Amino acid sequence: MRHTKIFVGVGLLLLLAATAWGSDTDGVTQETSFWIGGHLIDTSDYYKKVGEYRSFEEDVWPEFGLTYKSTTPNSRFFFKGHYFDRDEMFGMISTKVSDIFTGKFRYNSFQRQTGQDLLENIEAREWLPSVPKGGGKILTHDITDPDADYNYNRKEILSEFSALLSRENNLRLTVAHRAIIKEGTEQLISNSHCFSCHLESKSAKVEDRTHDFQAGLDTKAGNLDVGYKFGYRHYESTTPTPMAYYEDAKHPVKGTSGAEFGSRLNYDGSSMPIDAKPKIEKTSHKARIKGAAGKGQFASSFALSKATNKLTDLSAKSWAGVFNYAVPISPKTRLVAKASATSITADDPYIDVNTFREGKPSAVDFDYIRYSVLDRTTADFTAQIFHRLNPKTTLSFLAGYNRVAREDYPVAGDGTTSSTIIGQAKVRYRQGMKLTTSFKYRFEKTSDPFVSGKGLFEVPGDALEPVHYGYDAATGDSLWGYFYYMREDLWYQAITTEPTDYHEVNLSSTFRPSAKTTLNLKVKGVIDKNGDLDSLDVKHSKLNGNLSFTFMPDLKWVLSGGVSYRMEKSRGPVAVALFDG
Amino acid sequence: MFPFPAVRGDSTIGEIEHFGSLYTMADYETKAQNVYLSISGSPTAKLRLSSTLMYNKSTGEYDQVNMPDPSIEVSSTLVDQDFTFDDMHEYSNLDYSMIQVSLGLSYKLADGVTFTADGEYADLTDDAGYVYGIESGSLFMVRSGMKFDF
Repeated sequence: MRHTKIFVGVGLLLLLAATAWGSDTDGVTQETSFWIGGHLIDTSDYYKKVGEYRSFEEDVWPEFGLTYKSTTPNSRFFFKGHYFDRDEMFGMISTKVSDIFTGKFRYNSFQRQTGQDLLENIEAREWLPSVPKGGGKILTHDITDPDADYNYNRKEILSEFSALLSRENNLRLTVAHRAIIKEGTEQLISNSHCFSCHLESKSAKVEDRTHDFQAGLDTKAGNLDVGYKFGYRHYESTTPTPMAYYEDAKHPVKGTSGAEFGSRLNYDGSSMPIDAKPKIEKTSHKARIKGAAGKGQFASSFALSKATNKLTDLSAKSWAGVFNYAVPISPKTRLVAKASATSITADDPYIDVNTFREGKPSAVDFDYIRYSVLDRTTADFTAQIFHRLNPKTTLSFLAGYNRVAREDYPVAGDGTTSSTIIGQAKVRYRQGMKLTTSFKYRFEKTSDPFVSGKGLFEVPGDALEPVHYGYDAATGDSLWGYFYYMREDLWYQAITTEPTDYHEVNLSSTFRPSAKTTLNLKVKGVIDKNGDLDSLDVKHSKLNGNLSFTFMPDLKWVLSGGVSYRMEKSRGPVAVALFDG
Repeated sequence: MFPFPAVRGDSTIGEIEHFGSLYTMADYETKAQNVYLSISGSPTAKLRLSSTLMYNKSTGEYDQVNMPDPSIEVSSTLVDQDFTFDDMHEYSNLDYSMIQVSLGLSYKLADGVTFTADGEYADLTDDAGYVYGIESGSLFMVRSGMKFDF
């Protein structure tokens, strides 16, 4: 909070100083509007959904707002603020002094009400034939704070300044800071096993802080516009990490064999941190260049960034490059070509877990390196031609290619590469101010879209090689069998919601039958499917429609209205594990 | 958690048997419909009125889930478990409807002095209840004040 106050204080001083410096007593115009009043809120039944983004203080409360505007021949100052209550307020100051200095300060806060997950949809118990009233594995839950009123307040404070340092090369400095502060309470759910699968809900404080600082220089170098921007972002939670108790490892039915079950758990019989939030620091550098090339214009940028979780010392690095070029091919035809590439590389931490059945014949070390699914290189190319067919009609055609090469997913060092080709055609018709209509069709064809590396289904039976897991206490004979983890080898069937075929149509129309009436119509339809999932018929369809009107019978009245409809349908597999109990 | 006995075919652990998995294809559909009407105007030079009416209906539901007969997948007879899943498609139903009405007026009492008043009513009906329970509720707010322009 101290950093926020410093930034805000310095920012406001700069704004006021610049305004005072730029003020001119000649030709000053000022306008002030002050509103003061109060409000009364009343709610009934469950208010958290109907007023999810509202602040609630059930009673009569004062409220006020102020707007002030001052202009001189070479400066402008504007303030607007509104106080609803201590959790919901808004304030904005903007100033401009000639073309030398611009500044903006904005404060906005609101309250969000969040509900409590009652956990009632995750309660079950295995049925065993020998124990008619149950007795098998069980999933239970506890709500330790049933009357909790979960909500948080979000404040966003933005300060932006721009100053002309030199007219010679139009050298301009831009500095911006944004703080996001989130405070309140939230529901935490811990999951303990394997004595019995047990979910426990409790309240926790939320105090999240995000600071985003950016500073950049822009200038002209010959015929080129060039710029550089440095960015620094910091996120941190200032509340202590919550703790939860992980119950003793026991057989879920008999309550015995703690050591046997303990070897399969990383934590039991102890309190451990849960929902540990990261402490993120991200630095970024971005350079851009824009100018003329041949008959066309180009714009390009290159960015580097590195984000690190300081609590775990894990980082992700990325770079991104963009090149856009627009050129007229003929008096009626224009080409816009875009190319971009990105790369993300994340650290691969070593995960150390307890040895499974340590000290026994079938012990297994499940330690592993967690290769990140983020590691990838992407490339995008599009070329779009715009052609004016006649004074009323414009056509455009787009062709594109997208490639996503994953480094380590689903197999480390041998990830899959998805390729998509894109085609799009659009026609736009304009008849003066009376009618504007456009229609667009787009298709995307993808090979090897992202799929889950885990199998969705399991082969019945146990076509596995048994392992030696112990000795019969009476005879001393070797015991052979299978463990649950071995059944992963029986899992099959890749699954995804990503499509191989995508089709989209868009219709947009604005019709003005008279100067008093405007009609708008928008329709969007999407159909996609994945044809690579064996017999699984995974597909989606979407339909969005919107019809609205504005009618102004005279200069005193305005009537507007509309209807909208949205439908989304997803077809996918519903799978259940087969148990006889 | 104990190992399965070393037998081929459907594996068993005590009284619990494992038979792989079963699946069917199912459709999940969400719909949202909105209607709104807004009017504002100045019947006299001093009076300004405004009103908004909004209605929203949102639903989400699975079509009936028709699982195949488990005996097609496994050789054993599964007698201790009901695999019909007649009610499965209703587990995650969503069904909200919400109506919002607002009325506002401002009346100019004198040059630079205006009286304002407005009210808002919102009512949400939850016919399904999911995760958070039934979330039906309503909200009423009135606000009034004076505006000074100078």
